[in-house]
Amino acid sequence: MKSLVLIKQVPNTDSPFRINSAGTWVDEGNLTYGLNDYDRYALEELLRLKDAGKVTEVVALTAGPERASSALRTCLATGADRAIHIKDDALSAADPLSIARAIVAAVKDEGFSLILAGLQADDDNHMAIGPFVARLLDHACATAVTRLELVDGTTARVERELENNRVQVVELTLPAVVTVQTGINEPRYASLKGIMAAKKKEVRTLSLADLKGGAGDVAASAARFRTVRLAPPPKGKGAEILSGAADQIAKELVKRIREKTGVI
Amino acid sequence: MACRILILAEHEGGAVRETTFELVALAHRLAGEAGWSAADIKALLIGQGLGDLAKGLAARGAAEVIYAEGETVKEYTSDGHSRVLESVIKAESPDIVLASHTPNGWDCAPLAAAGLGVPIATECSNVAFEAGKPLFTRKAFNGKFIQVLDLGDAKPKFATMQKGAVAAFTGATQGTVRALPAPVGAAPLRARFAGIKKSESGGVDLTQAPVIVSGGRGVGAAEKFGVVKDLASALGGQVGASRPVTDMGWLPHEHQIGSSGVTVTPKLYIACGISGAIQHIVGMKGSGYIIAINKDADAPIFGVADVGIVGDLFEIVPALTKAVKEAKGQG
Repeated sequence: MKSLVLIKQVPNTDSPFRINSAGTWVDEGNLTYGLNDYDRYALEELLRLKDAGKVTEVVALTAGPERASSALRTCLATGADRAIHIKDDALSAADPLSIARAIVAAVKDEGFSLILAGLQADDDNHMAIGPFVARLLDHACATAVTRLELVDGTTARVERELENNRVQVVELTLPAVVTVQTGINEPRYASLKGIMAAKKKEVRTLSLADLKGGAGDVAASAARFRTVRLAPPPKGKGAEILSGAADQIAKELVKRIREKTGVI
Repeated sequence: MACRILILAEHEGGAVRETTFELVALAHRLAGEAGWSAADIKALLIGQGLGDLAKGLAARGAAEVIYAEGETVKEYTSDGHSRVLESVIKAESPDIVLASHTPNGWDCAPLAAAGLGVPIATECSNVAFEAGKPLFTRKAFNGKFIQVLDLGDAKPKFATMQKGAVAAFTGATQGTVRALPAPVGAAPLRARFAGIKKSESGGVDLTQAPVIVSGGRGVGAAEKFGVVKDLASALGGQVGASRPVTDMGWLPHEHQIGSSGVTVTPKLYIACGISGAIQHIVGMKGSGYIIAINKDADAPIFGVADVGIVGDLFEIVPALTKAVKEAKGQG
């Protein structure tokens, strides 16, 4: 059984984030990048299935500019067998629908039975690529999965996270696309041996021009999906900030807790 | 009756969910801004035995409630519900589709959107018309920024709305209802419902706690949670956590507060070392009084807190525990 993990390279959360001069996204020049945290769990889930002899191949795919190749290297070093890079600078600003279409064009003839992705990307937070790919490939789909089990070669049993500490158990007929929640497993790190081995693994590079409709679709996407502005979040009412020595602050807090809540 | 705005209604335990009435309120405001009639707001309910729910929704904001019923959609599945949604959108041809950003909403809405060939603006905190166009406001970079999206010529313009982003509709209306055999199509469903499970709980019920002291990633390790627990105990409260804490196993999952954990409204909420990702904030912003302690002055938690302390929680929290005990005469 062949499996695929969709991954994304995203800015590290401790990067210096600044809004770009157009006010439409962050200034990418200042940022450092790494593998999206959710995707590490998705990769780990497939590596475990491979360790258990349930899947034969784990392929990592990303759609992004040149810099994204290092995230694929991380996946290969961690244990993925090969990688596919849909490489185009236009992809860093593309909308999720055209990215999903490019992914589908790249993988539709590969015959993956199980496609995993992280629940969301830590940069644009869309949570859309997984379901989009599922629908465009006409595969079964489940999101926010906290437990995944391959029952046999045709069925997966998953638990989807709901609200209030509940999960929904769902049986999916393969092929299926599943997005995973963090905490589903404990992701491994690349070993030195893995890093060495990764150098010999295949990374297939495709350009949008290689994919049916790809370049034109990305170019046309601004007509249906365009960031008008990016701004700092509204301050809300905003907290009154207390400062001083710890015991003074503590006394002040006790006074307020008494006055405002009556719990002391 | 044209359909300008279609709402994907959700129900649970035999009642329409409150999040749906938030969508209804938003739809009424958008119709006003666009110069559309409130008669052009429709809602879709999917499930089985929905007649009374449909009437209730028609009496509270929806001009027409389409209720799609069938044995195959009795329980939520991604296949069943997204096919019905996609089919009804095709038939009604709305300009805007609104769903809630709930586990079922974020699951089936993008499936239907991709089927229709339109993008989706997810987890929006607002939608508003500017210069004749609806613009969709949502978070990016986990709440570090807000992004305003223009969905251009997409039809429909499709969005999922963050829970609690808009106050629920409370008006009374006299809408109509229409039953529809759920149009799930001929192809077999590939996602099958196999039950709902409660994750094991150690008897912790944060929803009833008057005081919650929560720790986040900033606590640093499971063994350092003592300071948070001590303060909770001094205040007679419970211990809460943000998602990374339960993911890393520092505390069991039932302590998690936020969109995937529990929603709480204590009289007093103290957030220690929690940056305030939106997923956490939606679960605690209804608290009576919020105190936040964090090293990072720019942490979004200070946006919802009443009082903030920028500093080391390992200095502030023990000092507060001591002061609380003294105040209670236990020092």
